[in-house]
Amino acid sequence: MPHVLFLPAQRSAEVSVGASLLEAAQACGVEIHIPCGGQGRCGRCAVVVQGGDGRLRRRSTIRLSPADIAAGYALACQSLVLGDLAVVVPPQEEIARHLVTAKHAVAVEPPAGYTVADQPLQAFFLALDPPSLADQTDDWSRLQRGLAGAYGVSGLTADMDLLRRLGEVLRSADWQVTAVVELDAWDRPAGPPRLVDLLPGRRTDALHAIAVDIGTTTVSLFLVDLMTGRVVARAADYNDQIRRGEDIISRIVYASRKAGNSQPAANSVNSANLVELQALVVGTINRLVEQACRRAGVEPKQVYKATVVGNPTMIHLFLGVPPEQIRLAPYIPALNQVPSLPGAAQALGLAIHPQATVDCLPGVASYVGADITAGVLSSGMHRSEALRLFIDIGTNGETVLGNADWLICCACSAGPAFEGAGVEHGTRAAAGAIEEVWINGDTGEPTYRTVGNLPPKGLCGSGLISLLAELFLAGLVDKRGRLNQGWPGLRDRPSLGPRVRRGDHGLEYVVAWAEETAIGRDIVLTEVDIDNLLRTKAAIFAGFTSLAEAVGVPLEAVEEVLIGGAFGQHINVEKAVEIGLLPDLGTGEGWSRFRFLGNTALNGAYLALVSRAMRQEVRNIANKMTYLELSADNRFYEQFMSAMFLPHTDARLFPSVASRNT
Amino acid sequence: MPVTIPQTKYAGKVREVTIGATRAEGGTRSRTVTVGGETTLPFLLHEGEMPHPPAVAVEICDRRPADWSPLLYEAWGEAVNDPATWARAAEAAGADLVLLHLTGPVQRADGSTPTAQEARQAVRRVLEATGLPLLVFGPGIADLDNELLVAVAEEAAGERLVLGVCEDKNYRTLVAAALAHGHLVDGRTPMDVNLAKQLMILIRDMGLPLERVLMDPSTGALGYGIEYGYSVMERLRLAALNGDAMTQQPMLVTPGEEAWRLKEAKVGDGGVPAAWGDWAERAITWEVLTATTLLHAGADVVCLRHPASVAEVKAVIARLMAGGKDGK
Repeated sequence: MPHVLFLPAQRSAEVSVGASLLEAAQACGVEIHIPCGGQGRCGRCAVVVQGGDGRLRRRSTIRLSPADIAAGYALACQSLVLGDLAVVVPPQEEIARHLVTAKHAVAVEPPAGYTVADQPLQAFFLALDPPSLADQTDDWSRLQRGLAGAYGVSGLTADMDLLRRLGEVLRSADWQVTAVVELDAWDRPAGPPRLVDLLPGRRTDALHAIAVDIGTTTVSLFLVDLMTGRVVARAADYNDQIRRGEDIISRIVYASRKAGNSQPAANSVNSANLVELQALVVGTINRLVEQACRRAGVEPKQVYKATVVGNPTMIHLFLGVPPEQIRLAPYIPALNQVPSLPGAAQALGLAIHPQATVDCLPGVASYVGADITAGVLSSGMHRSEALRLFIDIGTNGETVLGNADWLICCACSAGPAFEGAGVEHGTRAAAGAIEEVWINGDTGEPTYRTVGNLPPKGLCGSGLISLLAELFLAGLVDKRGRLNQGWPGLRDRPSLGPRVRRGDHGLEYVVAWAEETAIGRDIVLTEVDIDNLLRTKAAIFAGFTSLAEAVGVPLEAVEEVLIGGAFGQHINVEKAVEIGLLPDLGTGEGWSRFRFLGNTALNGAYLALVSRAMRQEVRNIANKMTYLELSADNRFYEQFMSAMFLPHTDARLFPSVASRNT
Repeated sequence: MPVTIPQTKYAGKVREVTIGATRAEGGTRSRTVTVGGETTLPFLLHEGEMPHPPAVAVEICDRRPADWSPLLYEAWGEAVNDPATWARAAEAAGADLVLLHLTGPVQRADGSTPTAQEARQAVRRVLEATGLPLLVFGPGIADLDNELLVAVAEEAAGERLVLGVCEDKNYRTLVAAALAHGHLVDGRTPMDVNLAKQLMILIRDMGLPLERVLMDPSTGALGYGIEYGYSVMERLRLAALNGDAMTQQPMLVTPGEEAWRLKEAKVGDGGVPAAWGDWAERAITWEVLTATTLLHAGADVVCLRHPASVAEVKAVIARLMAGGKDGK
């Protein structure tokens, strides 16, 4: 009988020829994790076999790359023992890195060759000669003279507040000061330079800025140290405006109403509701600034610039500009290309330096904004010959198709489900969020992993995708997204056990019992939640299929699919395909055509913040992009209805899912 | 100059579905009705085959319904008080199929809730009264439908009844009952090509052969959204003929129910402008025109209410099947 030695445990078992490695491990008490119940679906039981040639038969290698197989990786539940073997059981974390379908967010790095000297914002240290009877130059002129002499900066401007403080700062610092100067802006390339702040002593380390992505559902922010160009802290939270409407249309309607009245406000700029929405989003940003600054040990007053992206509605509301024309034909926003706003932080209520410049990146059309142009910027698709599809899985389901020669985009109202909103136990992708789930096909019991391996708080986007896919593959929900209760006598599963039960919102599936959670309540997924997820995934799928159809490009011709979204650090492409959110490009090689870029809008804002070239490029992208209006297109509705199914009404579009489903 | 009539040849074919079972087949029907099998659009007999004429089902109830038009009570007379008598009258009026509608609290004068036992009895009596294949529809209240139709399925095991209506909310129970007792189902969706297709997939996934499924795309009466229903049926049929396996089911529609709930059919002389003309003529014409329109959209089974409409619609079908000539 073959002899199997397990390392590092140093235990061995004698098993008959044809037994699985899993059985061998169990025979000698070596624990191998099998979340999917040993069905070869999850890939979590991967082990490294030494000397496996001819002594091991792999029934399935579905989760392993060719390189993994060459290195000896095998799925314990799917590999049969034919002869003597030595098997290394790697730690779980190591296995996770080998799963070819889990796509990890690309890292955010400053552009190559970053140097603070290229920045529009500069911190100049000045050791000025104190005034004397021999040198009676006034303070302001003395400062200007110092800057011109040491750094060649001339024609300096400054605001009143700074002029009033000038004399006191210079004297208390004994004429050793740091001048924070903004030399120019993208729309004022020749200056004049503006004195933003005057700090006592040598404070060239003070220079910070923020990149902000105002999402309809989630606001995210990077705090950037301009000396190094690095992101020193990040923060994200739900947009406080959600309480005034979940989607952009209801926010626009709310903003244009007189408070407490359904009539449109007489003077829309001063509408109390618009003022309220503006304050809500600024309040969210300020909270994030405070958090990020605290973590990085930076004073909020040392943040001298904010680069902001968001869809046009979010930008209008952030600036307090009436947004109602976005909703009304012919759908013309007040601002797509916002000028740079020197010293606007104070007027907007941002709790950074009051004289900080606010730079809103340009958008394309009423429903495709700077979040998408910034997303394209960070994806690099506008520079590549290869045809790429970029899908931003957010509340507004924006999609861009194209390459270096052309770009076309669309947006559709997808809903906030994948950001964890509008789902009973949804949560952002933060610590404690369930981000991956496996369900044992025989017992219906789940296994899950949370961000930071903490007790679960709820389900984030990737967790929801994963859970829905597993429920579907395990036969617990039907193709219409309804939970099966079992039907006596008809299948081999008369009852589904305690995990499927009737709750306040119809049937629900219990992912985690109250005692294992951080919230002290059962974490469930209800049929209403599943409906919301279906609508969201159907809208996103219908968006990019309509777009591809409109330009006559088959999806198979797309060389790479770029995914953006607030999924935290990873998304499992296979599961997203299984529920019909992403197109089925085949298994194995097909999966390698997906790339997860993380929060592309924020990454793009960051690039435009730290690089003049990138700031120019994002303008070019906005000018170049064609916009497809889906509301004028019957195709979208048709596509949407056929995508309201798992994975899709037309099974031919999902051959790899169909083959695993029968 | 010779003129060639262009012809379209389709790759797909509508499935044939047989309703009812004779003694030899495990039921008690004196004959069965097969619908479907088309290889072309309705009545384009020069292009392809239409092996079976569309069938006419006559709708009866298990007891006198409280909400029908007075014209219908007048036409059926005493028969409306007893399902067995009514079934025989329907057969005499020319029905190919009998549609037994189980009344719910709303349709019942006393507002009572029907019991499974009553439903079993009504079905048993209708089966004994007529040899025609039978369709049985519940009152349209999900929980009640499940309770009554499961009992009916068991009572009439082997008869190849059509159980309805089977929707995405209750398809599991109805399909399970059809599977267990050898029946068919009528799968109804609200006027949408994709929804219709999705329900067929769900039903098939439960293991019911598609040879036992009718597709009911819903319809509206003439003047009340029939264009929308027509377009959906036409698109479903074109998809079927072009090879989409999940749309290749014969279609059932209920023009009788739709036409007879309108003001034009329900409200008599005095309640409407005089220019609307004779009440009975108007109401029957409405039902007939609704039904014939739907036949042109691809209906394989039309459910009617008035005996005069049955005769007219059957005559239209006969003529269309004879290539426009008098089919008698």
